[in-house]
Amino acid sequence: MLKVENLHASVGDKEILKGINLEVKAGEVHAIMGPNGSGKSTFASVLAGNEKFTVTEGKVEYLGEDLLNLSIEERSRKGLFLGFQYPVEIPGVTMANFMKIAVNEHRKYRGEEPLTAAQYLKLMREKSAIVELDSKLTSRAVNEGFSGGEKKKNEIFQMAMLEPKLAILDETDSGLDIDALRIVATGVTRLKTKENATVVITHYQRLLDYIVPDYVHVLYKGRIIYSGDKSLALKLEKEGYDWLINDYKEE
Amino acid sequence: MHHSKFIEALGAMPLTSATVDGGRWVIGLEGDKSVTIKQNSHVELLVHCSAHRQMLRLNVERDAELRIVHVVTMAECKSNIDITLAERAHVSMTQVVLSSAEAKVVANLVEPHARFELGGAFILKGEERGVVSADVKHMSADCSSRTTYKGVASDNARGKFTGLVYVAQDAQRTDSEQLSRNVTIGQARIETLPQLEIYADDVKCSHGATVGQMDEQAILYMRQRGLSFADAKRLQIEGFVKDIVLHAAIEECADKLSDLLQEKL
Amino acid sequence: MENETKNIINELEQSDYKYGFVTDIETEIIPKGLSEDIIRLISAKKGEPEWMLERRLKAYRHWLTLKHPNWAHLDIPEIDFQDVIYYAAPKPKKQLSSMDEVDPELKRTFDKLGIPLEEQMALAGVAVDAVMDSVSVKTTFRDTLAEKGIIFCSISEAIKEHPELIKKYLGSVVPYTDNFYAALNAAVFSDGSFCYIPKGVRCPMELSTYFRINAEGTGQFERTLIVADEGSYVSYLEGCTAPRRDENQLHAAVVEIVVEKDADVKYSTVQNWYPGDKDGKGGIYNFVTKRGLCKEGAHLSWTQVETGSAITWKYPSCVLLGDNASGEFYSVAMTNNYQQADTGTKMIHIGRNTRSRIVSKGISAGRSQNAYRGLVKVARDADNARNYSQCDSLLIGDRCGAHTFPVVDCSNPSAVLEHEATTSKISEEQLFYCNQRGLSTEDAVGLIVNGYAREVLQQLPMEFAVEAQKLLAISLEGSVG
Repeated sequence: MLKVENLHASVGDKEILKGINLEVKAGEVHAIMGPNGSGKSTFASVLAGNEKFTVTEGKVEYLGEDLLNLSIEERSRKGLFLGFQYPVEIPGVTMANFMKIAVNEHRKYRGEEPLTAAQYLKLMREKSAIVELDSKLTSRAVNEGFSGGEKKKNEIFQMAMLEPKLAILDETDSGLDIDALRIVATGVTRLKTKENATVVITHYQRLLDYIVPDYVHVLYKGRIIYSGDKSLALKLEKEGYDWLINDYKEE
Repeated sequence: MHHSKFIEALGAMPLTSATVDGGRWVIGLEGDKSVTIKQNSHVELLVHCSAHRQMLRLNVERDAELRIVHVVTMAECKSNIDITLAERAHVSMTQVVLSSAEAKVVANLVEPHARFELGGAFILKGEERGVVSADVKHMSADCSSRTTYKGVASDNARGKFTGLVYVAQDAQRTDSEQLSRNVTIGQARIETLPQLEIYADDVKCSHGATVGQMDEQAILYMRQRGLSFADAKRLQIEGFVKDIVLHAAIEECADKLSDLLQEKL
Repeated sequence: MENETKNIINELEQSDYKYGFVTDIETEIIPKGLSEDIIRLISAKKGEPEWMLERRLKAYRHWLTLKHPNWAHLDIPEIDFQDVIYYAAPKPKKQLSSMDEVDPELKRTFDKLGIPLEEQMALAGVAVDAVMDSVSVKTTFRDTLAEKGIIFCSISEAIKEHPELIKKYLGSVVPYTDNFYAALNAAVFSDGSFCYIPKGVRCPMELSTYFRINAEGTGQFERTLIVADEGSYVSYLEGCTAPRRDENQLHAAVVEIVVEKDADVKYSTVQNWYPGDKDGKGGIYNFVTKRGLCKEGAHLSWTQVETGSAITWKYPSCVLLGDNASGEFYSVAMTNNYQQADTGTKMIHIGRNTRSRIVSKGISAGRSQNAYRGLVKVARDADNARNYSQCDSLLIGDRCGAHTFPVVDCSNPSAVLEHEATTSKISEEQLFYCNQRGLSTEDAVGLIVNGYAREVLQQLPMEFAVEAQKLLAISLEGSVG
């Protein structure tokens, strides 16, 4: 589904991604871990097409297409979803209206008719239940005045609405208490199918107790320096990154 | 005059040269004057008026820090202070107007990362007329400015504040705030014109203006505890303008400024 | 001299008549320029009574003593007032035989606005019987209004049919001495609307929504007078969301509203006149004086969505004369390309316990200049006056300007007045977020702008709020990319 080869990206003169290789197949869950500043969020942003970053080298294939040639919204409509670490506030624009436009843009792209108001409301009710999102939130402005937990639930709610093929969740667990974490993680798990794939970017092992990864990768200084199965996350939790980083330095 | 004593106490010397590179100075304003604050220096200036019309031009060079306290107590005077700030220059100014006067401050931020802060207050009573203005011109990117001006007019006094924040095209990432807060008492009149003129898009600019009255509840409360109406009123006004004086650009001036306010009230 | 002039006019008039001067095409040859003769001619053409002519002449003589104002933050090219045709009876439109002949760009805009085909045809000047049929609908409408004693007609009609009301109220809120354009309008106004709501009557419908098509072509010097008698209520809507391709460059309208004791008037405007092309060529100059006079306990609310005109100069105001009167002003002003707008409001607090609220949302894009100018004035006896003003500016692109020029003038110690203003831009993060959810950049900007303007759009009558939203998005076209 996703094939990243030797991806280099920079912001201004500063190179942040220095040759990332990663392959994600349908049905898989990948976790990307790594210390602060290793380039995890940048990697997610580049995949989503954030124009702040310039890709200087390498290629990314998504569903057999050159991902890097697509605009941000084309990537979205082709089923790539990014759950933001810091969801942005859009004053005055209600969540319900925002998602309605998004859902219908996705449908239009697939050649489907737009949802009627009634169909849309029904869908919204179903999906907001998945993440136990207070239905009142959908009539409020996008992310405005949402608590940290509400913002993250709201991201997963949107993911449920858009049913992506590839979901990249950037630090979805940060700032969540244990209940919110459970709700968000359960939501993600419920949305899992054989056809879609998930890339979870996280600092902590605790999220991976709920979302069990098939692969765990460690990103450091813009490269994936180590990959393993879910046991790697546990080892990292216990021993930290030092042993890996030290290894890496020796290389 | 109490002024001179105050200045002596602060150890300020009269400024005679046209360039300075440090120290605390006092300028009695008469006619036209220009002073250059040298690169990397830290200078403090106490400005008071000694003539009815004055113009002071301050040229603040790169990385210099200038602190100004300007007190207007002379009636019917017109003062004009025009400040130009070069790269990373920092000017912090306190202005207190206690008489029928016109006081104008213009700050030109012409190079990146210059910072300008102005805290001002006017207190007018009787038949006094005070007109103050503060124009902050962001001519370069990445500069910041803060203006807070408080006005109190009682009896038949009239006060007017005009503030302008101008952001030139390409003065991106300007960060500017302007606040005008006023209280009228009795038959007094206050006019405030806080203006924004913005030609760049990546800016953070806000302004606010309020005209209000004294808190009658608080006055009642104080009187219930035995204060006279006049004292209660005075305490309120003092409380209202206090922060301007407390945060005087030259810390040691705070007490003296506060005395001047007391006297006026 | 006087006699001679009269003779000339008489002669002119007669010859007009003789040669069928009343047909649309003939009106075209009324000479350019402004003089007492021209004013007499206008008045005569409209069959006005003598007292009306006298009023016009008085205004004209006053206008001659005035200079063109230049205090606004506008760059107005010099206007040659002798180069204007003042008798602007509805311009004869080229009748098109089918929708296929309509300018495709105009058609595209109609479609985007979701205007029904029938109305599209009428607006574009396509001859169509279906729309003419709506006249009958209009008539039933008038009957309903008449039952309640509501008068709603053109101002020309009112001058003839209701002279006592016109004499009493016309010019009572905006006298001809008010300003340059008010004087000009008082001298040469072509037509406009008159509306009278009797005591205690609640007007059962949004006035003028139904007359959207008819309101078209009321000319360049429009005059509107609304009188809401004691305890009455009316919601009035001016304008049209469809683009108006008017050849007249100069528009100077006057709107007067008299809100008697305990009456309530809501006045909404959607202005979408031709703003000129992408390079700033052409476009309407829109210099408007709008003011309402509020008596005791009266309430007046102005809502405006301004997206059109090359230059806009407009300050709908409230004079809060009576005790407990209140005024509101809600505005969205959007400028793009080379448009200029200097708009805002005046809230004049004279009575006790008067309240006002100002919410202004400016949006500048392209190379446009957008200024809010406002005055909140509290007179000496306006005890307990309250005002809250909020003026926000949104900048799209780095070649436009957003300016805020409020004046707060307070002469009463019990008044509490607050003004707040912010300036912001659409952030890259917001756009990225919307794009990531599948929205195109254009849609995202439209959405964000509508969100920003929401507080004002909510004030509009339902059906217009929807159109106004679309209009904002359309006006922004080409501003991002």
